[in-house]
Amino acid sequence: MNRKEFLSDFGRMGFAGVALSLFPWLESCTEKAQQEVSGERARIGIIGTGSRGLFHIQHLVQMPNVEVVALCDNYRPHLEDAAQYYPEAKQYDDYRRLLDDKSVQGVIITTPLYLHARMTIDALRAGKRVFCEKSMAYTLDEALEVYNCRKELGAVLFIGQQRLFDPKYIKAMQLIHEGLIGDVVGVRNYWYRNNNWRREVPSPELERHINWRLYSEYSRGLMTELACHQLQNGSWAMGMLPEQVMGSGHLVYWTKEDERDVYDTVSAIFTYPNGVNMTFESIISNKHFGMGEQILGTKGTIDLVTAMHYTDEAAPKGSGMDQLIAQIESGIMSNSVFAGTSWAAETATLAPGMPIMPNVKVVSGESSVGAEADGSKELLEAFIHAVITGKQPEKVLEESYYATQFALLADKAMHENAILRLDDKYKVPYEPLRMK
Amino acid sequence: MKDIVITKAIQKREFFIWLACFVVANIVNVASIVKFQTPWHEIFTQLGYVVVLSILLYGLVAVVRIAWHLFARVLSKK
Repeated sequence: MNRKEFLSDFGRMGFAGVALSLFPWLESCTEKAQQEVSGERARIGIIGTGSRGLFHIQHLVQMPNVEVVALCDNYRPHLEDAAQYYPEAKQYDDYRRLLDDKSVQGVIITTPLYLHARMTIDALRAGKRVFCEKSMAYTLDEALEVYNCRKELGAVLFIGQQRLFDPKYIKAMQLIHEGLIGDVVGVRNYWYRNNNWRREVPSPELERHINWRLYSEYSRGLMTELACHQLQNGSWAMGMLPEQVMGSGHLVYWTKEDERDVYDTVSAIFTYPNGVNMTFESIISNKHFGMGEQILGTKGTIDLVTAMHYTDEAAPKGSGMDQLIAQIESGIMSNSVFAGTSWAAETATLAPGMPIMPNVKVVSGESSVGAEADGSKELLEAFIHAVITGKQPEKVLEESYYATQFALLADKAMHENAILRLDDKYKVPYEPLRMK
Repeated sequence: MKDIVITKAIQKREFFIWLACFVVANIVNVASIVKFQTPWHEIFTQLGYVVVLSILLYGLVAVVRIAWHLFARVLSKK
């Protein structure tokens, strides 16, 4: 999807009005905001040029208002891969040298989780405008430290939560806040895969360097790598933050190939102040159900991944004569020999859903790197806009901050086998999404 | 071949039998409106159904009448 299509999508959904009041960070996507930066270029440095870094580079090369002037990675093959796109860019193997480079205005940090906070804070203090991949930090304290650092400096900081910029999520949330599915009574998130989540390692000493996701020394596993994306859904739909979380995590299947110690099977329940639960479940040894994100309301359900709306309200029954005929038919067809069943399996309704918008691009969630049309490109464009203007969009960081904090809190709950609440010291000003 | 003559009296009688069926079909429609609490304008909008039902009823009555006629004929021969 190019910018023109993106703007047209939002135009179709009345983006300029209602959606902007719900999602103020989309301001940079308006025509007016784009004109503001026309003819200007952002000078960008990329720290971490592995798979996710390259994914961003493939979007950056399509953007006329971006000049990638510096690349940094301490793993040479990754640096060389990135340099093929930007042969003129300066190359570094220490991110601090890149931060010293005065020609760099903004940095994109796509490194392992345990480095996010340190690198983000260093970059902000070096006067750079920063985009860091999710999750925001490796610990609750680090996330707060990053948040406070940005606040203190008044700098630009984006976190890689691309659903914030995905048209189908925005349209769905708009409809939910308009009351399409009634009161929200449940939120279901799940992400199933059937693979070992490993990257190929050229030599054994690089195992932890490349497969950092599998080791708790560097990553919080499924909660920070996958759940973090989906945990925003509940807060957006409910207009409030969860009050408590409980969870269970285990290493069930992938134990033979390596010495990984992050869970391959997790379930977490987040409870909101009104008693509504949001669940997250991930198993990476069965992929039948794939990725799913569903908002359940008293009048229907919205599936965010497929952008479909399913109503719970009964279809119109027809005229009195129609109903009479149907009743006679069912009387004739019913088996009078046996007594009627007192119980029947309540299988899912088969009612076909309705798409909530045309031309929906569904992302399977199978790729560990990213997918086209998942909002990543639009998120990056908004960051580039912020690099040029120096303006931090409203709420964008707070949404990412809480997604990270609740992913980390759930991971903690699993390890401590406890029901946990977010300590007051981690609470930052948060104005939930509400219709104005 | 013998001509079948449908006299005016027969036509009148058959028309009244169908009219009775039509009234019964309307009663069924009203009953279903009451039972299923559907709008009263269905008295008019469901006229198609009512006409079809009246023809079905007329056919049913015809079958009964033919059967009765044949039975009476057999009895009279004895």
